[in-house]
Amino acid sequence: MTNFNPLRMLCFFAVALILNSCGGPDERALNQPKKVAVIVSTLNNPWFVVLAETAADRATELGYVATIFDSQNNTALETDHFENAVSSGYDAILFNPTDADGSIANVRIAKQKGVPVFCMDREINATDAATSQILSDSYAGCVAIGKYFVEKLNKKGKYVEILGLVGDNNTWSRSKGFHSVVDHYPELQMVAQQNADFDRNKAMEVMESILQVHPDIKGVFCGNDAMAMGAYQALVSSGKADQVMVFGFDGASDVINSIRDKKILATGMQFPKLIARTAAEYALSYFDGKRDFAQKVPVTVEMVNQENVMDYQAYGSK
Amino acid sequence: MISIKKKLNIAQFQSLIALFILCLGLALMTDNFMTTDNFWNVMRQISVNVCISVGMTLVILTAGIDLSVGSILAFCGAVTAGLLSNGISIPALNLFIGFTVLGAVLAGLLVGGGLGFINGYAITKFKVPPFVATLAMLTMARGFTMLWTKGHPISGLGETFGFLGTGWFLGIPMPVWISGIVVVTAIVLTGKTRFGRYIYAIGGNENASLLSGIPIAKVKMWVYALAGILAAVGGILVTARLDSAQPNAGFSYELDAIAAVVIGGTSLSGGRGTILGTVLGAIIIGVLNNGLILLSVSPFWQQVIKGLVILLAVIIDKSNQKSE
Repeated sequence: MTNFNPLRMLCFFAVALILNSCGGPDERALNQPKKVAVIVSTLNNPWFVVLAETAADRATELGYVATIFDSQNNTALETDHFENAVSSGYDAILFNPTDADGSIANVRIAKQKGVPVFCMDREINATDAATSQILSDSYAGCVAIGKYFVEKLNKKGKYVEILGLVGDNNTWSRSKGFHSVVDHYPELQMVAQQNADFDRNKAMEVMESILQVHPDIKGVFCGNDAMAMGAYQALVSSGKADQVMVFGFDGASDVINSIRDKKILATGMQFPKLIARTAAEYALSYFDGKRDFAQKVPVTVEMVNQENVMDYQAYGSK
Repeated sequence: MISIKKKLNIAQFQSLIALFILCLGLALMTDNFMTTDNFWNVMRQISVNVCISVGMTLVILTAGIDLSVGSILAFCGAVTAGLLSNGISIPALNLFIGFTVLGAVLAGLLVGGGLGFINGYAITKFKVPPFVATLAMLTMARGFTMLWTKGHPISGLGETFGFLGTGWFLGIPMPVWISGIVVVTAIVLTGKTRFGRYIYAIGGNENASLLSGIPIAKVKMWVYALAGILAAVGGILVTARLDSAQPNAGFSYELDAIAAVVIGGTSLSGGRGTILGTVLGAIIIGVLNNGLILLSVSPFWQQVIKGLVILLAVIIDKSNQKSE
């Protein structure tokens, strides 16, 4: 070391101490509680916060020690989390992948060391890596929304689609599900398709601009609920809230309340709490010796509209 | 002094011409660009970026940079929203403090100023490079936002507060009033006060200013505090417009602000630039955002085009400097 730096030394000590304190699986006494890692793609979105917290809470209820890791939508950071979790002796990983292809290698890191991985909500494009994948069926959910959309718009009229992040898998599986139905009706004309990055403010601004060109639209389909709220706000401030029907996706609390108040027409209810609890319970049966899990367990996305909204609450049914 | 002023005017004049060409093009290519409605849309949409960019201009004039404004914006918006909807309760003392709109807004501004001051303190007292100090604050303030909101939006803030974002006064939207006041204040501050002259002097030549007795540390701390306060103003505007504080608000807004400053002809090496130039830069970005949507340009191309405009603006500005 050419340059003695007390701060750097301190960091080394701290790291050494941390590494030391978490021994491998063999060193730990058998009667210690199992450790479960919850590795989630991002905590920058309430939906994933609910997913991660429910998974951790359920794992704690079942008697495990649960820790949440935030991959910040970064597959490389996710790799670090997997390596750390495996080397510090976690017994199972409840996992929400950042990327369907990029995350496969990460899951294999755990598999090699015999740590079971349960995918939540998003899938990975491999069937021999994760122990089981509990998946929200976005595509089918948006097919249902598409059908309702066609019915409510009476098979004709101009509409707008607001996409999430253009580089994101979910954005396109939702969009494709929706279009797989709506595109069969030639009189339904999509006059604008713009992205708003799943962001409420951006969706509002995009919608304000679109309304300048297309003041005569009848419907807007948004790739998530935050954007549906933003689009709705733009419609309110331009006095078109009664003329344009807004459709979202997720089942967030703001939108469920707005559907109840007859402001937004429908959303696709995903069940993050159900998905997360199922994953935690699968880990329990794995510890109890079960090995024959179904590789893919689809969790249906249910459509919430103004007729059935009373049966639902934010992120789940009542 | 006179020659500097002339140079600045040329840079501004160019931005103005660019804006004019952009508007003319959009007016010819679309039917909906040149409408009163769309005019106020664009003005409302840029008001947040204008507030942040004005703060960023002050910082960049001192040859610094502030990467933390987007995160500070999110945190201050969330603080204001949280205080407004939940107040502060301390169960141990059986104490509850409710907040009026004015109280919550002032608290938000105070938090923004405080975080900005911490930036300035780290930069002047501990000689941390501005890039690093504000990068650290970018991460910390985002973390504070997550802690404060627990990762969930805070919604339902009431009509009085919403008026700040959605209301109209004398035929002009409130966000435009607020950003307008910010701009006028900043123009007076930079052009007519001793504090303003110090900012230009520090950015122009820090050693010379030190020798001529300018209180560099004090000026810089105030500049970063102001940038924090203006980020808070932006945060309050965003929150009021949405009637909701989003935990991921303001993500990468610092880049939009830097882009506005650069397009407006302010030099990143400090000492040269104007508030008015930045405002023009922000308007150009806003018109571009709006126009690309009006033209139904694909989202993929929009990013490429915006990047090219920034690059072009700087190249023109550089070639100008040489020719002078």
